[in-house]
Amino acid sequence: MEETSAVRRLDRLGVVLVAGGIAATALMPFIYVKANRIAAGKPMLLTQLLPQPSVIVLTLLLLLTAFATLFLRNALARLAIATLCLASLIVAIGLVSTAATPPGSTVARLTPGGAFWALFAVIGLVISDALVKIRLAPWMRVAVLAAYTALLFISLSSGLLDSLSIMKEFSTRAAQFQTEAISHLLLAFGSLAVAIVLGLPLGIVCFWVPKLRGIVLQGLSLIQTIPSLALFGILMLPLGYLATHVPLAADLGIRGIGTAPALIALVLYSLLPIVANAVVGLEGVDPSVRDAAAGMGLTRWQILTGIDMPLAFPVILTGIRIVLVQAIGMVTIAALIGGGGFGIFIFQGLGQTAMDLVLLGAVPTVFFAFSSAVILDAVIDSIRGSAA
Amino acid sequence: MLKKLALAVSLSAFAAGAVQAADIVVSSKIDTEGTLLGNVIALALEANGIKTQDRIALGATPVVRKAITAGEIDIYPEYTGNAGFFFNKADDAAWKNIDQGYELAKKLDYDANKIVWLTPSPANNTWALALRSDVAGPNKLKTLSDFGKWVAGGGAAKLAASAEFVNSAGALPAFQTTYGFQLKPDQLIVLSGGDTAATIKAAADQTNGVNTAMVYGTDGAIEAAELTVLEDDKSVQQVYAPTPIIREAVLKANPKIEEILSPIFKSLTADELRKLNAKIQVDGEPAKSVAEAYLKEKGFLK
Repeated sequence: MEETSAVRRLDRLGVVLVAGGIAATALMPFIYVKANRIAAGKPMLLTQLLPQPSVIVLTLLLLLTAFATLFLRNALARLAIATLCLASLIVAIGLVSTAATPPGSTVARLTPGGAFWALFAVIGLVISDALVKIRLAPWMRVAVLAAYTALLFISLSSGLLDSLSIMKEFSTRAAQFQTEAISHLLLAFGSLAVAIVLGLPLGIVCFWVPKLRGIVLQGLSLIQTIPSLALFGILMLPLGYLATHVPLAADLGIRGIGTAPALIALVLYSLLPIVANAVVGLEGVDPSVRDAAAGMGLTRWQILTGIDMPLAFPVILTGIRIVLVQAIGMVTIAALIGGGGFGIFIFQGLGQTAMDLVLLGAVPTVFFAFSSAVILDAVIDSIRGSAA
Repeated sequence: MLKKLALAVSLSAFAAGAVQAADIVVSSKIDTEGTLLGNVIALALEANGIKTQDRIALGATPVVRKAITAGEIDIYPEYTGNAGFFFNKADDAAWKNIDQGYELAKKLDYDANKIVWLTPSPANNTWALALRSDVAGPNKLKTLSDFGKWVAGGGAAKLAASAEFVNSAGALPAFQTTYGFQLKPDQLIVLSGGDTAATIKAAADQTNGVNTAMVYGTDGAIEAAELTVLEDDKSVQQVYAPTPIIREAVLKANPKIEEILSPIFKSLTADELRKLNAKIQVDGEPAKSVAEAYLKEKGFLK
């Protein structure tokens, strides 16, 4: 029942977001000015930066967004205002950092402070809330993700954010960033592919043979409890032995360190969600449908491929989504055993107490994990939608 | 059919790990100095017509060590003192002397793994204590003997160090016995990891009142944090001299490597290493360009 008035009752989420945004801006610094890469930074609140034009625009838009979040009923209007605000936030941090850089200094570093991240999160939530209320079709959600990603890339490539310390870290190792990005994604998707190839048949077998189900799922759950770093380390020994004593293994690239143990460990961690979801998905198929098919004379294999798999597909795809997001995160640890990926930046940054280098590794990882989740969710919903 | 599939899958997945036959695989540990020295080695070899493959910043010591003994990497910079731990001879007194330690490491690794230790650098990247300069200056503390007397006489020292440093018999307890001081429990902040960047930061920011940090002798952040390294005048610590180590087979195929790297490593004193490490860690310059600039400045690169 829609109210005819444009003003809506204050909803709890909006109040929390606006309150959080105000608290963050008032209490936490917007930017830190550091004398060098590892020094403690001088914090600067948004209010201290006010004379600058980009900050004035940002403040006005923040107030407008707060008003829109609390009082505006039209979700599309809220989305538009919040997007404008997000753009001005990114522009503001870029221009403020350029203005705050001591002239001629190549070693000074400027890092966004708590207020920036909090505002980014709050505005992001306002945008997601508006998107949910608009109720987009699945492919439109992916298009929206692409649009916001394009916005991000435009601001990155325009050089607007180049004064930020994370971009300085990037510029000193741009080639390495590309290489590590490729190895990171190859490792994540590669392990997903192997896990699907191994896990789906295993799941089908577990579904057909109920006695196996308990053992297999418990075994895989046990593997899941092993801390990832420990599993990487445990695999180094047998793989190292294999590499030295079996010539074919060494030629194939199986070694004690690097990609091989990382891939195997990731596959082991990925098996549980795929096998469990395959079993649950297949169990979810109405037995009467299977009976009808058997009655029509379809073989076991034809029932599996023609009826079970298509109907169980959304659930299996959910398992794949879980595995992909998990794998993208876990590949960061592979850097410790020579596997490459964004983890290298995280651990180098930790070793040098250069938090910006840690962010250079962490932010792309989060971005890829988030994007995969959104894209796969859209695929799942579109399959479910068309099946319904 | 299945075998072909398995081969295809593993080949595509492991392609990144495959090593080309002729190129020398230059590697290093993942820390700042390791990355610097790895790049120095790679640039020096390339400039002298030896093709290299870059696997610098591979991982921690156990990972890199495993890689070289398995033949996956060919050369990387190691520290003489570490050989004591690789071969379970950590208590040997030879490690306290730079030359004896080097000879012992060279012998042990060649006999066991046919790995050759080339010419070392004269620097000593060992555990040390660094005191805030605004405390060391007024109290005229330059060596650990001075520091020991000052603490024993009631000087307000608070040390941030790793658990390993505080508990290992060869580290803090050895310092305390030799230099005659004893830090009380409330004068110690014990961190779980051996990350000297964290201890240096603690002393620089005076977090929890810390004014002394556990450091490694050639850490880059020491000067920027305005700390003074206290000299180990009674040689309590083992010497960790950075040395390029190479697999014998690779050295035999490219004997020039020893004469290329020897003068370079001899020129890398502790002061030079600190300056270069500082450029990477504090100024944020990429390790490769810092290495290149150094080699050009010293005339090793045209």
